[in-house]
Amino acid sequence: MDYLSSNKILIVDLETGATSEEELDDDLVSKRIGGAGITSSLYETYKDSDPVILGAGLLTGTLFPASALSVISAKSPRTGYLTHSPFTLKAGMELKYTGFDYVVIRGKSQKPVFLWLHDGIADVQDASELWGKDVWDTTDHIRKTMGDDLIQTLVIGPAGEEGSDLAQVCVNYWANGDCWQFGKVFGSKNLKAVALRGMGLLEISDAEGFVDQCFEIFQAIKGSALSGKRGVEDILIAMGESDAREWLAPVTHRHSACYNTPYPTNTFLYLSVDPATLTEPPEPEPGFMITDIGALLALKKLGLSAADAGHVLKACARRGVDPAAVAEIAGKAGQKDPKAIEQSLASMQGAATVPEGAKFSSWAPAQPIFGDFGISGEAALKDWWVRRQAVAYLFGIHPIFANMSPELSEEALLEMANKGAGLELSQEALDQAIADVCS
Amino acid sequence: MDFYHSYATINQKLARGVELRYGEKEASVLPRAPRLLRVPRIGVYAGTGTSHSWLWIVELFDRMSFYEVVFMTEGMVRGGALDGLDVFAMSGGDTIRIAEGLGPEGGRAIESFIRGGGLYIGSCAGAYLPLKSSKQHLDRFNFVDIKIANLSKTRPEAKRMGSKASTSYGCDFVYHPVREDVLLRMTGREPFSRFESFRAPLYGGPSMVPSGACDVLAYYDGFTEKTLFLVDESLARQTLIGKVAAARAALGDGRLYLFGPHFEHPLFPTANHLVATAIFWDMRKGRQSGGFSAPQAILEGPEKEKLVRDLKREISNSRIVTVGLEAIPVQWILGCKTYEPEKIRVFLEAIWKRIRVLERSRTICVQQETCEEAVAMASRVTQLLRRMKAGIDDLLDTQDIAWDLFDSLRGLTTLFLQMYFDSLGARFRLDS
Repeated sequence: MDYLSSNKILIVDLETGATSEEELDDDLVSKRIGGAGITSSLYETYKDSDPVILGAGLLTGTLFPASALSVISAKSPRTGYLTHSPFTLKAGMELKYTGFDYVVIRGKSQKPVFLWLHDGIADVQDASELWGKDVWDTTDHIRKTMGDDLIQTLVIGPAGEEGSDLAQVCVNYWANGDCWQFGKVFGSKNLKAVALRGMGLLEISDAEGFVDQCFEIFQAIKGSALSGKRGVEDILIAMGESDAREWLAPVTHRHSACYNTPYPTNTFLYLSVDPATLTEPPEPEPGFMITDIGALLALKKLGLSAADAGHVLKACARRGVDPAAVAEIAGKAGQKDPKAIEQSLASMQGAATVPEGAKFSSWAPAQPIFGDFGISGEAALKDWWVRRQAVAYLFGIHPIFANMSPELSEEALLEMANKGAGLELSQEALDQAIADVCS
Repeated sequence: MDFYHSYATINQKLARGVELRYGEKEASVLPRAPRLLRVPRIGVYAGTGTSHSWLWIVELFDRMSFYEVVFMTEGMVRGGALDGLDVFAMSGGDTIRIAEGLGPEGGRAIESFIRGGGLYIGSCAGAYLPLKSSKQHLDRFNFVDIKIANLSKTRPEAKRMGSKASTSYGCDFVYHPVREDVLLRMTGREPFSRFESFRAPLYGGPSMVPSGACDVLAYYDGFTEKTLFLVDESLARQTLIGKVAAARAALGDGRLYLFGPHFEHPLFPTANHLVATAIFWDMRKGRQSGGFSAPQAILEGPEKEKLVRDLKREISNSRIVTVGLEAIPVQWILGCKTYEPEKIRVFLEAIWKRIRVLERSRTICVQQETCEEAVAMASRVTQLLRRMKAGIDDLLDTQDIAWDLFDSLRGLTTLFLQMYFDSLGARFRLDS
């Protein structure tokens, strides 16, 4: 692949610490497009070594709106089959700029390691200093020792190390949609983290046309139904939580968008400082960024205040557990005391409910947000959600934003992929790639 | 006219043993002369006191395929390494530190090199160095009877960039009236006879007043929309306009070309062309053609791959830290020069863009011990940068680390570029 790609698949053998590279074949892209389509194909090739596969979408890291998504694909201990988890913020984009579009992590290391991917170099590094640290301290330690605050991390906390069924792979400091127990998979491989940073460039086939059309789509989005909306609060309102703004107001500090995403899907709460404070807070981290809307909503439904929900989510993120699963388990147990929930995290047992046969994370709300996709009926809605997520996971589109913006139609995505990558993908090819990834 | 392509063609044909004459056929970019051309053997000074501008010479030489190049430290100059060369190029930096580093022995070596027919090309600090001076360290380099016009007993008031507007020069001050592009007017003297005027960037280089015999090649003639005035404009005009910007002087059988502005700056093709013209026109005469490089070990296969990968790993690590440093408002004063994080990246990028060439190349020309030294030094640069970043984050003074870092960067870049130029030079010779 000459365009929108580093043209490299990295194979890492944790058993030996050896790495090797393969070229990304144009035919594979033409058949499976990218993201979860290609990670699924690579999984079939390497499934004997129980691989974890990271993959960037075809449009990930470009100027295309919301091109923030990369995926983690692996056999989920929860389901026993191949599933896909999103990672966004700046990490999805950063994967592509490390010089590897896809990373196959095979086998198990004898000792704790982390994988450092940078500018086309893959280093399997000792993580004995990191083992035992929580998610936040791990990311801080990696950034401090490598000397760069922009390094993006996929990281597990103590829950993953201990093999908890609630263990989640977090992104930097935050939850990011791993509902498949991939944290447990990382832990079983003695893989503490994957650190990502690259300063590469992407070639675009029709660069001028691609950029011009990206701006046209941005303009269309600016005038769409999401205009004037912001943060988690408006998403919750769209999901029927009409009091969400008032509920969050006492702790809302700011909103934050993932890479090149026209809507800030993340909201930062100040938990230990008045959010109206305009000066630098006295402590380095006075709050928490909400990235998991489903978990927040579940805690709200338990009757917690936004501040208390924020404290629970922060504790989940530091320990590296799936906050949506914690909220569901606490709810089933009738546990409504935030302190008690926090204290029970280390011993909490159970797992979140997963729809039968699900392949994609339930991180993205199961309904259109703001935008009108012309869906009616429960079955149609379910089918729409699965197809919409599949498209997002193939092209590398933020999966929550994908459910907001009808402007990012399949037709537009195909046209831009062809323009940018110099391919001739058809609707039939896309239909087949979706069918393959969903099967 | 694409000067880079013209000179690259000349150099590549000469390396392959093709006979070319000045001004004829493929060498028409040069003035006509009834002589045969040959590949010049060039020393580039990269020792103590240099800033990053010698990397501009590297860029020029790389674009024009001058590959018979050796990167020199003060120890090499003192140790007689100039003897085998035709040309010695000295770019910018801290003139007094350069002179102090070279010492009287280095001064004698350079003088002997020029008197013996060698060509000295100096820009900015490299132009100040051989001018008349009674200052300590500089007094061993009085090769040319030209005075500095931008010298003052008192420090002129700076309009901006105070740290770059003037610098101590013994009991006096050298002041720098402007920075960035200036207009130069040619005098038409050979070998610079084909242009009337052109632009070149001035970053602290001298404005000169000849008092002895020398050829004036170009005068400062005006300012441009990019000129940045560091002192009052009238003082800048008085100091520069009509003064000498480029001169050619004789010493024994050799020649010196002194450029106030950086003629070697990569964004100025006409000025670059004049540097290349000077090299071919006045390089040491009478020597036989042929490569001067000692036989090198040829690295290929997995060993070559490993070397490239190890270097790439460390340069990538260093670049990543450096980009983070560039977002921090920090600078270091080393000697009389101010260094910002951006200057770190100039060294790293000079290596990074050429690693890819070596990555694609089948072989690398390098001794085994040099490989190990280069990788160890690259690793040291990464460690120093990480220590520096941690120190800055913790609000600590990083001045000592900066001294160490810039010295290490210079050493690493020199080692790598020597490997690179030797490898490309060998490739052209092998193709012949």
